Amino acid sequence: MNLIFEISEPGKRCATIRKPDVGKVSIGKKYLRSEKLDLPEVSEVDFARHYTALSRRAFGVDNGFYPLGSCTMKYNPKINEEVAGLEGFTQIHPLQPESTVQGALEVMETLSGYLAEITGMDAVTLQPNAGAHGEYTGLQLIAAYHAARKDYKRTKVIVPDSAHGTNPASAVMAGFEIINVPSDEEKGVDLKALKEVVGEDTAALMLTNPTTLGLFEKNIKAISKIIHDAGGLLYYDGANLNAVMGIVRPGDMGFDVVHLNLHKTFSTPHGGGGPGSGPVGCKKELAAFLPGPLVAKNARGVYKFTESRKSIGKVASFYGNFGVYVRALAYIVTLGAEGIKSCAQHAVLNANYLKANIEDLYPTEKGRHCMHEFVVSMQELKDKTGVSAMDIAKTMIDRGYHPPTMYFPLIIHEALMFEPTETENKRTLDEVIKALREIYEEAFKDPEYMKAAPHHAQIGRPDEVKAARTPIVRYVKP
Amino acid sequence: MSNYLSVTERETKEMLESIGVKSLDDLFDDIPKDLKLKKLGLPEGKSQQETMEFMRALSKKNKVYDVILRGAGSYDHYIPSMVKNLSSRSEFITAYTPYQAEMSQGILQAIFEYQSMICNLTGMDVSNASVYNGANAAAEAMLMCTERNRRTLITFDNIRPDTLKVLKTYAARREIKVEVLSAKDGAADLKALKAAVGEDTSCVYIEQPNYFGLLEDAEEIGKIAHEAKAKFVMGCNPISLAILRSPAECGADVAVGDGQPLGLPMAFGGPYVGFMACTNKEMRKMPGRIVGETTDHDGNRAYVLTLQAREQHIRREKAFSNICSNQAYCALVVSMYLSAMGPDGMKEVAESCVSYAHYLAAELEKIGLKRRDKGEFFHEFVTVSDIPADKILKALDKAGILGGLKLSANEILWCVTETANKAQLDRAVDVIRRVK
Repeated sequence: MNLIFEISEPGKRCATIRKPDVGKVSIGKKYLRSEKLDLPEVSEVDFARHYTALSRRAFGVDNGFYPLGSCTMKYNPKINEEVAGLEGFTQIHPLQPESTVQGALEVMETLSGYLAEITGMDAVTLQPNAGAHGEYTGLQLIAAYHAARKDYKRTKVIVPDSAHGTNPASAVMAGFEIINVPSDEEKGVDLKALKEVVGEDTAALMLTNPTTLGLFEKNIKAISKIIHDAGGLLYYDGANLNAVMGIVRPGDMGFDVVHLNLHKTFSTPHGGGGPGSGPVGCKKELAAFLPGPLVAKNARGVYKFTESRKSIGKVASFYGNFGVYVRALAYIVTLGAEGIKSCAQHAVLNANYLKANIEDLYPTEKGRHCMHEFVVSMQELKDKTGVSAMDIAKTMIDRGYHPPTMYFPLIIHEALMFEPTETENKRTLDEVIKALREIYEEAFKDPEYMKAAPHHAQIGRPDEVKAARTPIVRYVKP
Repeated sequence: MSNYLSVTERETKEMLESIGVKSLDDLFDDIPKDLKLKKLGLPEGKSQQETMEFMRALSKKNKVYDVILRGAGSYDHYIPSMVKNLSSRSEFITAYTPYQAEMSQGILQAIFEYQSMICNLTGMDVSNASVYNGANAAAEAMLMCTERNRRTLITFDNIRPDTLKVLKTYAARREIKVEVLSAKDGAADLKALKAAVGEDTSCVYIEQPNYFGLLEDAEEIGKIAHEAKAKFVMGCNPISLAILRSPAECGADVAVGDGQPLGLPMAFGGPYVGFMACTNKEMRKMPGRIVGETTDHDGNRAYVLTLQAREQHIRREKAFSNICSNQAYCALVVSMYLSAMGPDGMKEVAESCVSYAHYLAAELEKIGLKRRDKGEFFHEFVTVSDIPADKILKALDKAGILGGLKLSANEILWCVTETANKAQLDRAVDVIRRVK
């Protein structure tokens, strides 16, 4: 389809604004732009058709099965969108007097409190704008904690080899060195290897639990002891909290700092890549370092911004992605204590149901229940047929399903990571099971066809090498 | 209570049987028993109707002003209906990062169009797909410009306070120095800047217009930075770019800013979107997602996430930035706003802001609220007066007007956009005139 620039016609207008009813004032010439402002010129119907066409070439949770592992693509309730759009939330300025935004402060204070309860933490900041931003913030807290104790030699953060790429990247941004620790045979942290690397220089261990393999880290108590005995802190990557919320809390497992992803666990939409929100919770020993401002309720029931003098400082403008908090709060108050727990239970049920019905063909960790997701390795199929995890993913596209996460975690060869989430229905799961079993058979019958998939999608496989070698990253008029 | 589940009790039973377990609890047998929670301390769930009532009641505890004369990083602009309407399509809202190009061409093309528009607005060569907000864009630009031997960012005390705070947080543990020079008459002091830049300067960061609304001599500042072989990073208000010299024209190496004025509501500070654009030379150091054009195996035009070798999921600890999720949906809204306005509409909005802001400044001057600074301004300006700022703002508040932001006991930072009209501004002036 055309780019909006390609349907642009000089002189066409879409939105119009009121003419000022005061005298025109101009700015001094030396400040004025001489470069032409090259933006699209379209009519309103052109506009409507263009963006409708783009939306029809997008695939969201509302379009169909979206088992993108590690991303928790659960249904985004419509009521959350409506409440976030209420004028009392959208038409308020972030620097209004506190007395005029008591409702907004109450949203923040209430949500922070609920998240603290769900994670077992003592204090929460909502400010970080995404998961990786939360990681960065959490690690800054850890750095501030050690510095406040004059424990300056703690320069290293330990990261399992199964971790998200953001973990090591965030730790480096927060000024730490990275120590990678391997996984053991059960795909958990290798305790022996961990004992070898911990020491006086350990600032923290970053852990996702359930791990990125969708397995609960059974040795969590031992890991917690090893890290804490060495004087380090335990950081919880909340990417996979959806599997265990209401069932077990990071704070009770021994974690000191946690970040959450409201856009995963708490149903706020992923928006094609954001905005997310990455609140950070911590134990009371670290609370003084949280980025400000935080919201507190005083004895008279009035909400106030507060800021600790020991704070690490701000990590984002204003108070973070407020509109996302409104949605997350609406979600949590709808679910309540029982609803939160049943989401986790059914996320795990759906994943295990899918796994149980394909694992004879799509091999995964044997003899254990998975949590909310599971990772299969297609190495054997590839050896036999030449059909790769990628080819399976692209064949799923032809059948109208979004593929699972591919080639992650890095420790599994030809990995596909399925996370159906709790909002998926059984009928769809049964269809997917049938489709995946057929796809497996197809790999033997016609591997060449699968290697060229997708055949019925918007485009065939794109040439990514060409895109990176000769980057065209903007429209240029011919 | 609603939990958005989609299976019945009967189906749950069938599924448990298929898995080979008796109960849902059996699926959690890997979790040590003594760690399991008895009960979450949250209220009982609500029906959707109750949730709506609860949230609406909260929203009503916030005051919505008829007239907003406050900016300082969040701006009240008219948002066209077609932007609100088309951006609310659930295909956009419920998708994620377009990892699967073959079924995400709509999202990828939208980002490509956004990048193109940001490039055209700033005059720069390359834009990324967005970062969190304007302050974070400045911080990411600082990291981009930092080299082994050049680790000092120089700026002035006339940039947005939030931006300065975020710059300092990001500099703190990276052996980066943020040097803040004093502004002169509200604007960058070129003499002081010349004296401050040196071989350890990584970049000079200014905002145009600056926090006080004043226009900086950006081109001169860029020259001073470049003479010291440092980079020039310009933070811009995107509405102003419709009429002001583009960062490229001013010699910027990196242009950043907050896209909120382009179609995003104030929403108590977020979600907004940080835009970042740079020269071709800096492209491979830019953080975040970038969408590129290529072809598929049949030669059809196609869009993909590209230059991913920069990013955390490939490079892990060697990545330039940790950013993964960004503000893609806000970037989509921004691109819709720019398309809906077009070049003429953008210019009209910018000119309307200038005219109304200058009208208010002149009227306030007449009643004794004099401008503090001499320089030219865009749509924000600072007044000083003998009447305490608190008294003025309180009186306006009573009249349903959100006045400017108090900077000190007698100083107020005002902002006027195209949402104002003469009658409202006259009314505001009238209210202030009565303040004793």
